[in-house]
Amino acid sequence: MAGNFWQSSHHQQWMLDKTDLIRDRQHDLNILSDDEYQKIFNFFSSIIQVLGEQLKLRQQVIATAIVYFKRFYARNSLKCIDPLLLAPTCVFLASKVEEFGVISNSRLISTCQTVIKNKFGYAYGQQEFPYRTNHILECEFYLLENLDCCLIVYQPYRPLAGYVNDIGHDEQLMTYAWRIVNDSLRTDVSLLYPPYQIAIGALNLACVMLGKENHKSWFAELNVDLDKIQEIVRTITNMYEMWKNYDEKKEIQGLLAKMPKPKPAPQR
Amino acid sequence: MQGVSAPREQAPPVISTSSTILNMREKEKYIEDFDFPFCDESSKYEKVAKIGQGTFGEVFKARARNSSKKFVAMKKVLMDNEKEGFPITALREIKILQLLKHENVVNLIEICRTKATLHNKYRSTFYLVFDFCEHDLAGLLSNVNVKFSLGEIKKVMQQLLNGLYYIHSNKILHRDMKAANVLITKNGILKLADFGLARAFSVAKSGQANKYTNRVVTLWYRPPELLLGDRNYGPPVDMWGAGCIMAEMWTRSPIMQGPTEQQQLILISQLCGSCTPDVWPGVESLDLYNKLELPKGQKRKVKERLKHYVKDPYGCDLLDKLLQLDPAKRFDADTALNHDFFWTDPMPCDLGSMLAQHTQSMFEYLAPPRRPGHLRHHHHAPAQPKPPQDSTYQDRVF
Repeated sequence: MAGNFWQSSHHQQWMLDKTDLIRDRQHDLNILSDDEYQKIFNFFSSIIQVLGEQLKLRQQVIATAIVYFKRFYARNSLKCIDPLLLAPTCVFLASKVEEFGVISNSRLISTCQTVIKNKFGYAYGQQEFPYRTNHILECEFYLLENLDCCLIVYQPYRPLAGYVNDIGHDEQLMTYAWRIVNDSLRTDVSLLYPPYQIAIGALNLACVMLGKENHKSWFAELNVDLDKIQEIVRTITNMYEMWKNYDEKKEIQGLLAKMPKPKPAPQR
Repeated sequence: MQGVSAPREQAPPVISTSSTILNMREKEKYIEDFDFPFCDESSKYEKVAKIGQGTFGEVFKARARNSSKKFVAMKKVLMDNEKEGFPITALREIKILQLLKHENVVNLIEICRTKATLHNKYRSTFYLVFDFCEHDLAGLLSNVNVKFSLGEIKKVMQQLLNGLYYIHSNKILHRDMKAANVLITKNGILKLADFGLARAFSVAKSGQANKYTNRVVTLWYRPPELLLGDRNYGPPVDMWGAGCIMAEMWTRSPIMQGPTEQQQLILISQLCGSCTPDVWPGVESLDLYNKLELPKGQKRKVKERLKHYVKDPYGCDLLDKLLQLDPAKRFDADTALNHDFFWTDPMPCDLGSMLAQHTQSMFEYLAPPRRPGHLRHHHHAPAQPKPPQDSTYQDRVF
């Protein structure tokens, strides 16, 4: 679907301000360090990514699901809804919105079960995926409400393809930049910057990583706020730095235990 | 972000991990007390009257409680398929309406919900809230006191085609064009409405045909390619409907009122000629072409039969171009807007003053049923609908 990003709810309602975002996370950041918070989102982004791949969704659908997930927690504490429930709910909603079709309930639940068991056993041990269809359907309502029914998410993939085309077709560059866009979903950039800037940032980073000096003039001619592009690049490289010294398999159980959770029911 | 509340102490109720399941009563209390700051409650509007009913659900006229002047239309989201979660058709309608902002497309103001209480089993109902439009075209056409001049008919069609041009350029198919879904404000601004069947389309990639459902469009306005089972269709399906509506501006009732799909195809053939590979290359490869008994040897009589209603030769010619059997030959919205019909005297003229003579809303739902006036051959007298009794209209004061 085409449409105009500048008139969209994505631009008008969901380009967030960094200081606001940090303020809104204060509750969670009293319990978790910024670093730990990012690691938890990295982990659940992986769950959504793997779930999506198992369900054979296109990357666009997966990316939309991850953005829904991030938008929800931009307005809510992690304790509001267990992220392990919200993650498949985002996948379920995104596949409908992106016209992938409705994923059957049984297929969604069984995929969650196998993915959690086989791919994320290091985080959940013997614990099985605890949710059923009715949880996801109910959760979908809360997700929709908190998104304020803003369903259309613009992604950097399409502008990226345009830019690579403009620079001159380069398969390797495209592949690299595409992966960087995928990785960028694990940071806050999708909440803070418009997709075209993220695409340029990813392309810039890909050029640097591949040592492609000859595109400098192309970037120099762009009429964009280069400070913003640099912020995006820095955010993504910071994440890569963090990954170097981070062993998710060892640390994630501790992080999940520390994560804010819903209040247990008062005993009566 | 503007206006975002601090992280909430309360948590919505779905959250129960296996270790912290709230018991049912606590959960219910919790939902009742929970405040969702994002979707407003529907109680900010007060229902005034029901103005529509269809397979999609109910539509109400409502007044904003904080302003006695501001009217809206509220469309209830039907939750019929519990298994599917929030219905994909409603999701489509929401995202498509959020995407489309145009003078000739109905404006979605917001989405509201009812409070979850015991009465609705703690499931809130969602409403789509629109700017209120005073009339729909079917309602106007069913009232003989409403008379359109040729310039006014041109204005209606020009606005309708402008709306279609806009939605098609945004890669959206309406898929339910009919007079009842064409709204007109009291100032004479036309708005395409009801995107409940709409969807985004893409141009089929080589060798990979689209597979959209062909069970769309109200039968009387359904184009021949859908009746023949096409699943790889596009904007021409809406242009056929535009043609049917345009003819209706003069005939005052739908021109082809088939009771069944087979009958509808027969009516189409009687007006537009037989569907043959000669006039419509490729028709033979449509699924139902060989499975249905299709009328053979029918001649095309569009102009011949419509000229008794449509005295304007340009109007007749444009109708002929819109009611083309072959979707590839059917005019698109842009070409239609460039047709001489819109650029010859009398030029399109504003509807405001004509509508100002009518102080009651006219909706198909509220109007007496229109005379089943099939398009008649010219030796029949044109259908004479009975003048509606004014007492049969209710509420409609604006």
